[in-house]
Amino acid sequence: MQDPYALGEDGAPRERRRWVSVVVPKPSRGRGLALLVGLAALAATVWVAAAGTGYAYAPAPTRAKVAGIDVPSDAAGARRLQTKLQTQNKNLAAALKKMAPSGTYVVVDQTQNRLYIMRDDDIARTAVCSAGSGMILKDSGGSRKWVFDTPRGVFKVRNKISNPIWKKPDWAFVEEGKPVPKNPADRFESGTLGKYALYLEDGYMIHGTLYTRLLGRSVTHGCIRLGPDDLQAVWDAAPIGTPVFIF
Amino acid sequence: MIGTLPALVLLAAAAAAPTPSADELARVSADNDLLAKQVALAKGKEFYLLLDPADRTLHLMLKGARLQRYRVDGLEVGVPRVLYRTRAESADWEGRIWEGGTLDPARPLDRVEVQAPPPTAEGTEIEVRVPQTPEEKYPVPPRYHIRFTGGLSIEVRPPGTESKKGFWGRWTAGLSAWWADASAAAGGSSADVVRLHVELSKEDAASLYRALPPATKLLVLPPG
Repeated sequence: MQDPYALGEDGAPRERRRWVSVVVPKPSRGRGLALLVGLAALAATVWVAAAGTGYAYAPAPTRAKVAGIDVPSDAAGARRLQTKLQTQNKNLAAALKKMAPSGTYVVVDQTQNRLYIMRDDDIARTAVCSAGSGMILKDSGGSRKWVFDTPRGVFKVRNKISNPIWKKPDWAFVEEGKPVPKNPADRFESGTLGKYALYLEDGYMIHGTLYTRLLGRSVTHGCIRLGPDDLQAVWDAAPIGTPVFIF
Repeated sequence: MIGTLPALVLLAAAAAAPTPSADELARVSADNDLLAKQVALAKGKEFYLLLDPADRTLHLMLKGARLQRYRVDGLEVGVPRVLYRTRAESADWEGRIWEGGTLDPARPLDRVEVQAPPPTAEGTEIEVRVPQTPEEKYPVPPRYHIRFTGGLSIEVRPPGTESKKGFWGRWTAGLSAWWADASAAAGGSSADVVRLHVELSKEDAASLYRALPPATKLLVLPPG
């Protein structure tokens, strides 16, 4: 495309500059006002529509809706039904009460690293603990893998040992870059688990720690670690058979 | 003759007992139904939430044991609506077992994978890394849901979580929340048929978010 502002050989512009004039009609005062009102109406419509779209909240009902049941028309039949329902009610309430633990039980919040000693549904003691780190360890060959999670669910205290000696599992050697010993006697280590160990299931324990500064953080290989005072409290409060709930 | 007297008295007493009304029988039947559901939940292996609006409590339970108790300061029921028209009825959410409760947004699962060094007789010095605290690891969003299969969700807005954002931060968050609600109500994929807005303290709301196990069930006890 030719540049319209380029000069010709004689120094004169090749082409005269072209001007285009566009005449914008000046809006009258009435039309401006109408435009403003229109825009405001549009905004209000959008606003009202937006306000009416989403979720409408109301206080929860305070009265239950009770579905009707077939009631015998005769009085004796109605009384029989009442007796049957009341017996069912007693049995169900008793079954529910029987399922809930009574006396002492232990609750572990593994995400927030808290252990609670519960007595008859009330918290008797709160302790800061450490639960599983969630780390995945692979051995140098890549053939074996361990996930250090604390399992969720309900367990029981199966055994209690004071001054426990830790039988180190394979991962403890792999993690330290040491060969896994062939002689079982080389696996035993004392002092690592603190003063007491309460054995749950599948090798998981509640025990003490040398690293009390890490309590409150998820650092373990799946066991629950406690500081010495809290470990003593759990040891005293939880006999063998005590339920331990981990969530 | 003397032996038949007590039997006659019992019969007379039974005949004189007031006939139970249909409402009374329906109430006992509904109570039994609710108890049966609680027994079924306690027999299962899954964690469950028990929301009791009358007692103003939300419990995290397993096998009939109360693991955590959260105080409920308020409860509202939300239903989706488009242009002021309600799109779903809020009936039938009480006294029903809801399953598969999951957090939205999901709690991040930060797994570190470590490759062990090749074994040597001396071993390798392990670098002890101090992990984050739960508060640092799991920041609680200003609004979260526990969504259950079938369209019910529990909505929690921990108080005070937005106060640090400033005016524009709060305005943007509000707009974003409205947009999420409006698009969900208008038929988006994440539409909740019923939302229960549960008011918890900041600490309880954070604790619930950090601790909720996966695939939790829910039972809302109807008011007495």
